[in-house]
Amino acid sequence: MSRSYLFIPGNTPSMIQNLDVFESDAIIIDFEDSVSSFDKDSARILIKNFLKKYSYNEVEIYIRINSADSMYFLEDVKVTKDLDIFGYVLPKASVEAIKELNKLTDKAIIPIIESPMALLKVEDIAKEKNVVALLLGAEDYTKELGIKRTLEAVEILYARSIIAITANAYNLDSIDTPYTNKEDEEGLLIDANNALNLGLTSKSSIHPNQVDIINQVFAPSESEILEAKRIVKKSEETDKGAFSLDGKMIDLPVIEKAKKVLEKAKKYNL
Amino acid sequence: METIKRQNIKVIKNIDELFTLIDISLNRNISFHHHLRNGDYVLNHVLSKYKKENIKGINLFPSAIFPSYNMILELIKNDQINDITTNYINGPTAEYITKHGLPGKLKMQTHGGRARSIIEGKNKIDIAFIAAPYVNKFGDAVGYLGKNKCGSLGYCIPDSIYAKIKVLVTDNLVDNLIENPEINGENIDYILLIDEIGDTMGIVSGTTEITKNPIGVKIAKNTSLLLKELGLIKDNFSFQSGAGGVSLRVTKDLKDIMIKENIKASFFSGGITGYHVEMLEEGLVEKLYDVQCFDLEAIESLSRNEFHIPISASEYANPANENQVIKDLDIVILGATEIDYDFNVNVTTDSHQTLIGGSGGHSDTATEAKVSVIVSPLMRGRIPVIKERVTTITTLGKNIDCLVTERGIAINPLRKDLIKKLKDTKLKVYSINELANIAYNFTNIPKDIIKHDKIIGEVEDRTYKIIDNIYQK
Repeated sequence: MSRSYLFIPGNTPSMIQNLDVFESDAIIIDFEDSVSSFDKDSARILIKNFLKKYSYNEVEIYIRINSADSMYFLEDVKVTKDLDIFGYVLPKASVEAIKELNKLTDKAIIPIIESPMALLKVEDIAKEKNVVALLLGAEDYTKELGIKRTLEAVEILYARSIIAITANAYNLDSIDTPYTNKEDEEGLLIDANNALNLGLTSKSSIHPNQVDIINQVFAPSESEILEAKRIVKKSEETDKGAFSLDGKMIDLPVIEKAKKVLEKAKKYNL
Repeated sequence: METIKRQNIKVIKNIDELFTLIDISLNRNISFHHHLRNGDYVLNHVLSKYKKENIKGINLFPSAIFPSYNMILELIKNDQINDITTNYINGPTAEYITKHGLPGKLKMQTHGGRARSIIEGKNKIDIAFIAAPYVNKFGDAVGYLGKNKCGSLGYCIPDSIYAKIKVLVTDNLVDNLIENPEINGENIDYILLIDEIGDTMGIVSGTTEITKNPIGVKIAKNTSLLLKELGLIKDNFSFQSGAGGVSLRVTKDLKDIMIKENIKASFFSGGITGYHVEMLEEGLVEKLYDVQCFDLEAIESLSRNEFHIPISASEYANPANENQVIKDLDIVILGATEIDYDFNVNVTTDSHQTLIGGSGGHSDTATEAKVSVIVSPLMRGRIPVIKERVTTITTLGKNIDCLVTERGIAINPLRKDLIKKLKDTKLKVYSINELANIAYNFTNIPKDIIKHDKIIGEVEDRTYKIIDNIYQK
C-alpha cells in the first residue's frame, strides 16, 4: 500500500546514501536500464555492502534486477537474495520469468508490464506466486506498439485500466508508469491524477523531486479522511448493515472503502 | 525656487594624471567595492599603477575579493601589500594567502562591521576608488544605470563619505542631473574616466539559480515547514534569504505559502535577485531594501520600481546605526560550510583550512534577525557539516537559532521559546549532537587535520571583537 515508488540507480552512492530522505514510500534500486553493462558488478557490490550495514524501517526497498533472459539475472538475484529487502521488480515480465524468479527466491515480486504480450497475459501474471503489485512500463510498451506518448495519455488508457482492474481483482497494488519529464510539475500532477482516476493505487517516478506531488495525489484528502471517519463511526454505532448518512446510502463496500482510507491516513501520518 | 550652484568635479582622463595630483606613496590605505563582482575591471586597473610605481606597504580595504582580482595577488607576490581588510575572499588570492599569509595580516570583517569601522575611523582609508557606472559632472552617481551597471552601490557609500580622498572611476560621464543619487557628489574629489569599468555579466557568477538538487529541495521544504510551524509566515513579516540555490528555493516555497494564505511581507533585504523583484511586482512584498544586486533583473528593477530601494551598508547592517534595516528583520536564511556543537558557523574557510569566503552579512543578519536559520546538507561528499569545533568561527553560535538539514532540524538550546513551539509538531527535531551522529553513521568522524602553528589573520565581529584566528595551512 505505497503511494510512491522511486527508482534510484544502483551505482550512485550519493543517491543510495539518501534513499530514505526523499519521502518516497518505496524505493526501487535499479540494476537494469540506469546501470551500464560495465557497471553492473559494481552496483551489486555497492548495494550488497550498503544494505548489509544500513537497514530502513520507514521505506520499502525493492531491487529492479535485470530481466530473466539477460546474462545478469542470476547473479543479480544471487548477490541480493539474503539482503533485507521487500522484494524484486522484474522487467520484461512474463509468467515464465516470474516462475524463474520464484525458483530462486521467496521474496515479493513486482512485474513490469511493458509489452503488448505481457498486457494480454496480465491476469496470469497477477495470479503467480509472490506477485504483490503490477507496474506499468509505458515507455517500452508504446515503443513496441510504435506509438507516441502524450500528456493526455490516451495511448495508455487501456493498459492503465486493465492493470488497475486486474490488480484490484487480485488484491494487488497497481503502480503507474513514471512521468518522464522531470521538470514539468504541472504535467506530473495531471498525469498522476489521470492514473488515480482510473483506479491505479500508486505511481513510480524517476526523480526525487516528483515524489511530493505523487504522495499528495495518491493520499486521501483531508475531506476524504473526515468523511471516512464519520462513516466508520456511524457503522460502529448501528446494527444495521446499511444506513443513510447526509442522504447517501452507506453499505458494506462503502464502509470497507472508508476503513481503507483511514488505514492509509494512519500509515502516512495524515 | 532657489537654484543651488554646484561645482563641477575635476575629471581626469588617465590614472597617471591622477597621481600627479595625489601623492601615491603617502596614500597607501586604499579601498574598492565589489558590486561588479567577478566582472570588475577597476581594481586591477588601479592596482596596476601601484605595481608600476612599485609602491610598498599598501593596506587594502576591498569590500570583497573575487577570483578575477588578480592584481592583488601580483602585488602580494611582489611584496607590496601589507594588510588586507575585507568581508569576503575567494579564488587564487585566497589560496595564496592561505598558504603563505601576508607580511601584515588579513582581517575579515562583516559588511555592517566594515561600514561601522569606516564611519568611526577605525578603518582609515586614504583613497577610495569607487567604480561607478553612471556619473554626472557634479560627482553624483548611481549604480543601476549605464552600460556597465551593477545595481545598488550600497557597500561603497561609507567609503564615498569618509575616505580622505574619494575618486569615482567611471566609463559613463553624463551631463544631466541625477535624481536621488546613491553617491553624493559633494563628497567626491575626482572623477577618473576609463574605457570600461567592468562587465555587467560578471555580477551573476555563481549565484541566483533556484536549486533543483533533491537534497536542496528537501532542505528548503523542511525550512518552510519550520518557519510555518514557528508562526513566522504571517502578514508584514520580513525576510532575507541571499542568492544561494537553497535559499532561493526557500523563498519560492514561502511564495507558494504566501499566495495560498494571502500573506503579504513587509520587506526583503540584503542581496536582491530577480526572484525577489518578481515577488515585489506581484504584490507579495511591500519593499526591497537592496544593498547588492545579484542579477540583471534586480538591476533593471531599481530603475522602474519605486519600492525597490538601494541602501548603504550602514543603513543595512551597521550595528551603531539605530536605523539599520536588519534590526527589523524577522527571518534570515543563511548557509554554512561547517557548524559546530555550539552552533558556531564557518563560511570563511573550508574543512581543509583554505579561505573560501567570509561573513559578508552573515554575522550581521544572524545577530539582528529574530530567527536565524542555517540551511545545509548534513554531509558534503564524505564530510559531515557538523563538527565538534568549526575550523574558523565566522558567526558566533549564540546568534544562530536553527539548523535545517535534509534529515532533520536542530534548534539552539538557547532558544527555549522555539523549542517549545515545535514540541508537538511532526517535524524531525534533534539535538545538534544527534544530527551529527546521523552523519557520522555514514562518514565516521573525520580526523582533525587543522594546523594551528601560525596565525595569518583574524575574524572581527561587527562588535569589533576578534572572535577567531585564521591559521596558515
